[in-house]
Amino acid sequence: MAGHMPDDYEMAGLAVPESINELHDLLERVAADHPHLDPGDLMMFETAVIEVAGNVVEHGRPKGKVVYRFTLGVRPDRIVAHMREASDAIPQFSQDSADQLDESGRGLALSRAVLDEMSYRRADGENIWTLVRNLA
Amino acid sequence: MDIHKDHRDGVAVIGCDGRLNMVSAPSLRAALKSTIAEGGTRVVIDLADTSFIDSSGLGALVGGLKDARQAGGDLRIAGPSQQVLTVLQLTNLNRVLRPYATVKEATDGWSHA
Repeated sequence: MAGHMPDDYEMAGLAVPESINELHDLLERVAADHPHLDPGDLMMFETAVIEVAGNVVEHGRPKGKVVYRFTLGVRPDRIVAHMREASDAIPQFSQDSADQLDESGRGLALSRAVLDEMSYRRADGENIWTLVRNLA
Repeated sequence: MDIHKDHRDGVAVIGCDGRLNMVSAPSLRAALKSTIAEGGTRVVIDLADTSFIDSSGLGALVGGLKDARQAGGDLRIAGPSQQVLTVLQLTNLNRVLRPYATVKEATDGWSHA
């Protein structure tokens, strides 16, 4: 393994739409630091991260004032991320049954489809999402 | 994201360069609404330079598709990257937004339809 490259990443800030682009940038940095990672794995992981972050921006309360902390770890066999957010609200789970022509309601189903593990729990006033994709 | 509009053979071609996510999806939705309101009811979305799409971006495409069809036209997508293709497949949206390889292919099919 390339010992000089970081395997752990962290980002924190306000859950506002602009933070989504900062997460994209972070994922690009992970790819650049870990060229051995399959771009397909990273692409799908990024898809899930952005969906979960989008859900926090959209449904976190008070809107625009929720602070989040995102951590990501590259492990030999998987990529793991945690999204913590101190929202007053329990996140809304879509029904996974968006009609073909609905304009919303696909996000979390899409995340589940590209992850090997996705879980949510609430502890100490925080919503904590765990995202795992196993590496081939 | 950079959204640009062009007209070719009676078809409105809208290019989306960059990330089509919750930050940029409202701009695409607005561009689609104004295009269709101005009578451009045959629309091709050029995704050749769209590096990423999320569910908000999909929502903008589906909204545009509905508006175009209501106005008597249609919306097609062209040149999607692997990420966009995968997301379309996982959400089954490839059934209603069938991807064309290029803008030319999407517009050619139209004029012969």
